[in-house]
Amino acid sequence: MIVGEKKPFGEIWDLVKGFRNVHVLGCNTCVAICHAGGEKEAESLASMLRIKASQEGIPMEVSSGAIERQCEPEYFSPVMETLRTHDLVISTACGVGVNFLADLIGNVQVYPGINTTFFGGVPKAGVFTELCAGCGNCILHLTGGICPIARCSKTLMNGPCGGTNKGKCEVSDEVDCAWYLIIERMKQLGTLDKLAEIQPPRNWSPGPYGGPRRVVVEHIMDIEEQEEKKAQEGGR
Amino acid sequence: MPSIGEIQETQLKEQRPYPPCRAACPVHTDVQAYVGLIAQGRYTEAFDLIRSVNPIASACSLICHHPCEQECRRCDVDEPLAVRNLKRFALEQSIEYRRKRRHAIPQSRNKSVAIIGSGPSGLTAANDLADLGYKVTIFERNPVLGGLLSSAIPTYRLPRDFLQEDIDDVLAKGVEAKTNCEIGKDITITDLMNQYNAVLIAVGLSLSRSLPIPGVEGPDVLLALPFLSDIAFGKKPELGKKVLVIGGGNVAIDVARSALRLGVENVEMVCLESAEEMPAWEWEIHEALDENVKITNRWGPKAVRRSNGRVEGLDVVKVKAVFDESGRFSPSFYEDQTSFIPADTIIITIGQMSNLSFLKDTKVKVDERGRLAWNESTQMSSAPGVFVSGEVITGPGSAIQAAANGHRAARAIHLYIEGENVEAALVAEEKEKIAELPPDILEMIKKESRADLKLISPDVRCAGFTQFEIGYDEYTALREASRCRACGSGAVVKPEKCVACLTCLRVCPYDAPVVTNKAEIPPERCQACGLCAPECPCQAISMVGYDVREVIDTMKGIVGSVDPRREKPVLVEFYCTYHVGVSKTPGTENIRQVPVHCSGRVGVLDMLKAFECGADGVYLLLCSEDPCKHKGVVSRMKKRIEYTQKLLSELGIESGRLRYFEISGEPGEARRRAAEEMSNQVKVSR
Amino acid sequence: MKSGSNLERVLASGQFAVTAELGPPMSADGHEIIKKSHILKGYCEASNITDCQTAVVRISSFAAAVMTIKEGLEPVMQMTCRDRNRIAIQADLLGAAALGIKNCLVIAGDHQKFSSAGRLKGHPGAKNVYDVDTCQLVAIMKKMRDEGLQEGGDKLEVAPKFFIGASWTPAGDPIDFRPINLKKKVDAGADFIQTQGIYDVEIFKSQMEKARNLGLHERTAILGGIIVPKSAMMLKYMDSSVAGVSVPKALIQRMAKAKDAAGDDKKKQREFQEQEGIKITVDLIKEVLDIPGVRGVHIQAIEWETAVPEIVKLAGLYPRPNIPEA
Repeated sequence: MIVGEKKPFGEIWDLVKGFRNVHVLGCNTCVAICHAGGEKEAESLASMLRIKASQEGIPMEVSSGAIERQCEPEYFSPVMETLRTHDLVISTACGVGVNFLADLIGNVQVYPGINTTFFGGVPKAGVFTELCAGCGNCILHLTGGICPIARCSKTLMNGPCGGTNKGKCEVSDEVDCAWYLIIERMKQLGTLDKLAEIQPPRNWSPGPYGGPRRVVVEHIMDIEEQEEKKAQEGGR
Repeated sequence: MPSIGEIQETQLKEQRPYPPCRAACPVHTDVQAYVGLIAQGRYTEAFDLIRSVNPIASACSLICHHPCEQECRRCDVDEPLAVRNLKRFALEQSIEYRRKRRHAIPQSRNKSVAIIGSGPSGLTAANDLADLGYKVTIFERNPVLGGLLSSAIPTYRLPRDFLQEDIDDVLAKGVEAKTNCEIGKDITITDLMNQYNAVLIAVGLSLSRSLPIPGVEGPDVLLALPFLSDIAFGKKPELGKKVLVIGGGNVAIDVARSALRLGVENVEMVCLESAEEMPAWEWEIHEALDENVKITNRWGPKAVRRSNGRVEGLDVVKVKAVFDESGRFSPSFYEDQTSFIPADTIIITIGQMSNLSFLKDTKVKVDERGRLAWNESTQMSSAPGVFVSGEVITGPGSAIQAAANGHRAARAIHLYIEGENVEAALVAEEKEKIAELPPDILEMIKKESRADLKLISPDVRCAGFTQFEIGYDEYTALREASRCRACGSGAVVKPEKCVACLTCLRVCPYDAPVVTNKAEIPPERCQACGLCAPECPCQAISMVGYDVREVIDTMKGIVGSVDPRREKPVLVEFYCTYHVGVSKTPGTENIRQVPVHCSGRVGVLDMLKAFECGADGVYLLLCSEDPCKHKGVVSRMKKRIEYTQKLLSELGIESGRLRYFEISGEPGEARRRAAEEMSNQVKVSR
Repeated sequence: MKSGSNLERVLASGQFAVTAELGPPMSADGHEIIKKSHILKGYCEASNITDCQTAVVRISSFAAAVMTIKEGLEPVMQMTCRDRNRIAIQADLLGAAALGIKNCLVIAGDHQKFSSAGRLKGHPGAKNVYDVDTCQLVAIMKKMRDEGLQEGGDKLEVAPKFFIGASWTPAGDPIDFRPINLKKKVDAGADFIQTQGIYDVEIFKSQMEKARNLGLHERTAILGGIIVPKSAMMLKYMDSSVAGVSVPKALIQRMAKAKDAAGDDKKKQREFQEQEGIKITVDLIKEVLDIPGVRGVHIQAIEWETAVPEIVKLAGLYPRPNIPEA
């Protein structure tokens, strides 16, 4: 899932203190799961803003709410009209939600309430770790399921480097050396010999460096749109 | 006027399976709710809840056979919750409140109903019909209302003044009562059918059965009900020196113990059943044995031996079996094994039947065996507009069962008068019951011994008919009420909001939630500690037993106005009503006390709200691990409070303004100290 | 000859090679480089010019290498994968070759996080590149040199002639994979290898045996890295904090004894330890050169280039061979 973390309150306050009618909109999917931006956190942020506004003697109205997801327009329909009555909406969804809402809402500013960090998993309660970099060309079959792009600080394809220290990355002793893990895993699987092959330089363009990406699943597009698309392509 | 939260909570509760106590109660009293209110010191609210479904609440608080207790899920842990004793406590605490509430109900419908009999089912029907705006008249052949409650149950079990509260509640609504008025003698049922829009026959089983054995006719052989009603109405029956009571049921026990109290030193009971088979309630058998009633099991009456017309004793024959292979009552004897029990007075207590002579030659049909003909789906007799309820149709049962039947009859009458389809609307609802406690959760529940009522010692209490059970003092009641595991009042997940994030499962001390594509919290596992609801990131969890937004939504009122010139800090004190709350410590002027029924329910948002509403400081009084009802609440609450402190520090609010205190041992002093410490340490924020 | 560099020629002659290391200054003035070139000249076949070591900004290895050539010291240019993508790397390689640089050592590069340590602020927030890793870069260099092709496949008018080097951490985690890790670099085309600093000779011996079993010592020239210790504290620090370096207790004790012999005099303590450090270095050099398959040593005297001449002399490695260009 997408993992994010709450922005430090001081940072949010600085961004927001000039507004007078603020709504905090949470998202009850990914960011709820990591307790960064779900309905509860949105209400919590709203409460804190009200406390701060009162401390500073600023007449700020703050309301809060949440919708199921902020990455699809249908979920916004029931609340969009209300959202537009405010002069600022703080979205505690991931960056996707902030982008999306800002695109849909029109003339109201949308600010982010959290910092979106990574795609990750939950190895144990309360711990979220980065496991995927969204590189667009998955090679996990080569590394025993451990991603060298997301989990190696140097995105090495032929690691390890010389910085592995007792199985940890030179960057921090809380970070496992991904290549150490890969080697141990592939030893276990009996596929270590695969690692003797040199992985050639990677084509990074399916990843974010190639430019913003787009996926189209044609057969579930609107029928009319599909017809239009076909017609356009036919015309070329 | 209930709040939106309360309405939603009631609706939610009705959609969920009932805890076994509530399911077992014939009128489905919300036991968990009123016991919870008692535990929180909200006695009059407990009273309201009890009385809302039970018009014979005071009577029940003393004489109900408490099927709820028999089904209590604590039975698998240690001993059932002492529900009846708690009910009594709540009622005792609410007498003034109860009396003030009484008022007449406008008889807006201009329709009238006659009720024959003022026992549990008659009184209940009268209560309900009066509430609906009918003009109700009760006809009672005895000088006092109450049916067998006043004419047969001895006053050492149900003192007159207790029962009177129930009766006065009903009469105060504007119900007319005609006592010393017998149908068939003073007025006929046909008259009633002509004068009233509906009639209810609730005459119960007012005749004692006798035994068709030689020697029964003549002096010194008494029947149970006349014996008991004589005592009830001040006529002291004549008894000899040795009373022998034939019978093994509750009435036989009442008869035996009453005889003792009339001064007979030698009282014996003889019955067909073995000690285990005796139909009387176990605890009543024990009380009788404690009072030196001798119980002789497994002998059947053969003949009353007389000499010069006076009773000498009873010839008895040994019982082979009481029930046949199919479990029907069909006693068989060893005819050659006989014996003799000397006695000078014999009281026959083998059962009751109804007196339906007043229905002779009327439109209300009685079958060849003397039973009322009636339609179970409509509660109506063969005569249109004449309804029936209680033991006269159900046969012997408990008072509360009769009351339940009275509710049903009242509904039927109302539907009939309104011209509705009675049968369709009266369909009985099958309520689902919560399953028993799973073994892994059983293990986690601490054993706590049940507080029984203190009894006046046998020799003292047998001197007269005064009540022998001493009701709880407040401390004992609060402790006993805390034993309730709040079955069925726990967490419910709204599936449309749930994202299966596993948070509820992770914070639950009992591993109750089952998470597949959504979380579901099985009611038989949830222990209603309340930890999960404030932790759910999507706010998808409600609690059946209370409104999770209650504190937040009322915080403004709780904190009230904060005087800018105050010298002492305004503090919000969340205190757990289980252990901490047992000591009622009055708050000081600057402290706003918020009782929480398990501190687990206090969430980050609640604590923030207190500050938002102007509090200078907040503190939580947590029951420490040992007295705490739930393992794991304290450690989780500490983390929650630490997290909230971090949030507050981002607002420049110092961590000392939000604190917690763990209370073990005697709570009163610890509470005072906590309050003092906070009051001294927290500065008034300007 | 692949590059015709001095280093290559000495190795080809079968003699032991000595490389040293030169750290450029954090300055727009190249004086330091000139000075250090003069110190090291003649005491090594070539000298590594570190490239923003620990991600700290200094004169680039490329520029410094050009300066050392002018002073008569053959450089080993270092190319990290951290700071440049394959486009900039190949461009720099072409430029380096055009300016006469013949040796190039490929290295992954310390993570930029290390640049802010001690009193330095560094650039821990810089975006690192790692477009290609060391194995891939060795292969790129080989492709450029031997096929005259860019990584993407386009032709080079004139191919750069490099002697390709790579680093090896024989004692790094996981230790049993390190020989395979070396094999990959050799398969990719590494002509010479410089190892991470060796203090525990036994571990290195054991890893060298594995390397020999894979036949790697015949396909590439392995130079044992020796870091010149300055103090017991430095040894302890490296043992505990530097990945892939383990220091036997005996060595630390040896250095500590030297410090103790100086009593309380701080200046003397420094002197004695430095002297001992030189002695230790010389001992290590002798032991390492004794190991079959080792073709030389890479002496790293960090910010202490002046120690190198003495060390080389004491190790009996002076004068360095003079093998003329073909």
